[in-house]
Amino acid sequence: MSDGGKAESKTGKKSRITRAGEDNFGRAISKVAVAQICENVGFESFNESALDSLADLAIRYLLDLGITAKFYSNLAGRTECNVFDIIQGLDDLGMSTGFSGASEVEFNCAISSGVVTEIRGYVESAEETPFAQPVPHFPVVGEWRLIPSFLQMGEMPGFKHIPEWLPAFPDPHTYIHSAMWNERVSDPRTDKIELARQHRKAERALLNLQQRLVCNGLPVASTSAEPDDYRSGLEVNDIENQVLANLSEDEDQDESPAILSGKRSGEAKMENHVTLLETFAPAVEAMKDGHSDSGNYGEKSFPGKRPAVCLEFKGDKNVFGESLDLRIRNKNFGRTAPCFGREDEKDDKKRRVEFILRQSLENQQELT
Amino acid sequence: MNAQSSQQQSSDGRHDDDAALTDFLASLMDYTPTIPDELVEHYLAKSGFQCPDVRLTRLVAVATQKFVADVATDALQQCKARQSAVVKDKRDKQQKDKRLILTMEDLSKALQEYGVNVKHQDYFADSPSAGLDPAARDE
Repeated sequence: MSDGGKAESKTGKKSRITRAGEDNFGRAISKVAVAQICENVGFESFNESALDSLADLAIRYLLDLGITAKFYSNLAGRTECNVFDIIQGLDDLGMSTGFSGASEVEFNCAISSGVVTEIRGYVESAEETPFAQPVPHFPVVGEWRLIPSFLQMGEMPGFKHIPEWLPAFPDPHTYIHSAMWNERVSDPRTDKIELARQHRKAERALLNLQQRLVCNGLPVASTSAEPDDYRSGLEVNDIENQVLANLSEDEDQDESPAILSGKRSGEAKMENHVTLLETFAPAVEAMKDGHSDSGNYGEKSFPGKRPAVCLEFKGDKNVFGESLDLRIRNKNFGRTAPCFGREDEKDDKKRRVEFILRQSLENQQELT
Repeated sequence: MNAQSSQQQSSDGRHDDDAALTDFLASLMDYTPTIPDELVEHYLAKSGFQCPDVRLTRLVAVATQKFVADVATDALQQCKARQSAVVKDKRDKQQKDKRLILTMEDLSKALQEYGVNVKHQDYFADSPSAGLDPAARDE
């Protein structure tokens, strides 16, 4: 059927503009089918509006016929329709045009009703024109994914009243209620204490570093405060422990004894008693000096004996941040303690320590 | 074969009709209606119609096709009648108006008979030259 040029161009524009409705596909197919029928009847062209109306009419006819046939089948107590329901429906729909063949006296069977006769006549007479294009089955329904039943899962339902063919329960962890609590107990007081502890630890670590710097930089110490006390490494260790005990009671006292013992063992190899004493004397002094500087436990002071080491404590915060790094470094020093005798290595270590300190100070500013 | 024969022999007629109906339905398997099966199945399913039998779908398709064809035939008659009336008035425009165009006007007249009231909307403007050849329009 040749559509006029105007109508054609109109269709082209329209199909682009119209939004995709739910029923567009069916209507489009119906339009093509109706156009084909019209062409068979003898029309040469059509108006768009008329074709739309006729296509809509065809769809409504289909729907009405379906509804009526279903109604009659339901009336007879069935769910599936059969021929007679359809014929009844056709009769109903054709009511307005009158019953052809109704004037015939006895027809007691729906088969011979006028509608069927007419349709049969139409089928015989009308030219058979199949639809222009192959039509896919529509609407396309995606594959249904059913929840597997108890039977398919191979489980037994937990209760007797649940039959096996019902969908299985989800995994228990998806619905079982479990209490949830915050494991982290944040007590402001303990937090504060911990903060102070770490602070002190950091200070002490720095002090250790300081001591070692002093030891290495000036191997021949200027004085020793109480030379009688430093008879052996054990005594030194005791004094160190006392000092540490003064510092705070809850500090763990692993570090400096470990370092000291490392030093001690190294120097025991050297078997030089004098160097041992001289090496440790300024360390203890410096420790005590450091205490007086921090001002917490500064009862004992040794004025004028040694100039303080040129390391500055900028503030509490700065010292706090350094603790971990310095501690690790300190341990390293403890390990390398036996090699202290060599000059070039000392310089190297000094440089490293300074570098670390500088770095940690800078990092501290970044952290805060 | 049809109502007349069944009227003559009422007792045997029923069996004849049964056989005839079965034959008719069987013949529908070979007949391909213009309205595709898929369209019919979709809209029947939408209306709640339930039947696995393809023959019944075909029957519905044929019935719908017949309905549309009847309406179209009536509209064609209207169209021809209108054109012949026009031709009487103006013989000179005979050439242009001879094309058979399905218009809303004819369709609404034809549909009135079937109990469907369709009116050509006033605001829905079909171009008067729609359906004509572009060459004819240019003149």
